[in-house]
Amino acid sequence: MANRALAENPNLNTLGVVAPPPILVQTPAFEGTLATLFRCVREHKVDLLDVPMEPICEAYLVYLMESPETNLDEAAAALTVLAYLLEKKAWQLLPVHEEEEPEMDEVTALPDATTYEYADVIQRLLENHDERSKLFFRTASPQLDLYEIPYDVGNVTAGDLARAFERLLKRANPEPVELLAKPRKSIQEQMKFVLLALKPSYQRIDQMFVGEYTRTDAVYWFLALLELIRLGAAAVKLEGEEVLFAKK
Amino acid sequence: MNLVDQLEALIFVTEAPVRVADLVRVLGVPEGTLEQGLELLAKKHEEQGALKLVQLAGGYQFATKPQYAEIVASYLQPQRSKMSRSVMEVLAIVAYRQPVTVADIEAVRGVQSDYGVRILAERNLICEVGRLDKPGRPVLWGTTAQFLHQFNLPDKESLPKLELTGLPPTAHDVTPLLVGDGS
Repeated sequence: MANRALAENPNLNTLGVVAPPPILVQTPAFEGTLATLFRCVREHKVDLLDVPMEPICEAYLVYLMESPETNLDEAAAALTVLAYLLEKKAWQLLPVHEEEEPEMDEVTALPDATTYEYADVIQRLLENHDERSKLFFRTASPQLDLYEIPYDVGNVTAGDLARAFERLLKRANPEPVELLAKPRKSIQEQMKFVLLALKPSYQRIDQMFVGEYTRTDAVYWFLALLELIRLGAAAVKLEGEEVLFAKK
Repeated sequence: MNLVDQLEALIFVTEAPVRVADLVRVLGVPEGTLEQGLELLAKKHEEQGALKLVQLAGGYQFATKPQYAEIVASYLQPQRSKMSRSVMEVLAIVAYRQPVTVADIEAVRGVQSDYGVRILAERNLICEVGRLDKPGRPVLWGTTAQFLHQFNLPDKESLPKLELTGLPPTAHDVTPLLVGDGS
């Protein structure tokens, strides 16, 4: 039954597809029915870019409005054709980004080297290293820095020296108030006085001091003593808890 | 005093390679003349004596000739430390791709490389040459004059040419597959 109904349908073409209605299309580039335009586009006989779509859509709408008894299958077929044409033209209008293929003669960027690629140069660098190991150069001659004379303080530690200094400070008087700044003392000058106070026999630090002195005097005095030890002019040793100093 | 003797005296007293620019400044002669003088000095020492003039790390320096290496080494007894393969890989990557970050080195090697970088920096073969302007500001590493000196190179441009040889050989390249004949 169904086959007969289909066979009796006058709008069916030979392939059994409903043909679009004869909607007339009039454009500067093409004049004819919608079905003919569709076929010409499919067969590349008409360049769709030259065909404006607006009058075609308008013609379809006019067909729908002016034919109240429109065959739904035909209208659907016309809509399908129209959709096909619109989509095809839309794709044609999109800018095509064509990647330029590098010419064969053009030098292309070399790929990054892998560790394996370095094997040869590593070998050659090692050979260079071996060659270089056969060469000897002048080396820096060790020059005695006069400021770095080695000195011996035995088992006296910095803590012991600090305790000796503390003992010295305990006896120090407060600084007198002076309106004018004092001229800066020289450690070198102070060393002369300390050297005079030092004896060949070992003595405690407080035994070396006579008379009154201030905390500043004590600081200068102790710094001068340390400098004399460093220069090897004074000796220091530990006896029990006591730090003793002597002239060398 | 001729130029060759002057050059000999100046190069002799220095303990590091003397740059041509410094010699030009001190001697007040054109660079071309100075280079001729250096050539003559090199030739003079090539023919006689135990010393040779070598071009290293961007300058010139006197060194003992290789034939005296054994006797000098027996006297000086230098402490030589050999570098492992992995440290040499890191050094080669830094030398050829500098300035380079640790991440770049690791991308080539495919393994963590911060240990190698630290060892090379401690030996003064590589040093920090800047920071990459990217998040985290990673350190950029480059080779030092010490690297050129230790690897007998006059300058960075004298590095052996890096040949891109393609993929590493597979087991099949070494031992071709035996194609059975069906018998």
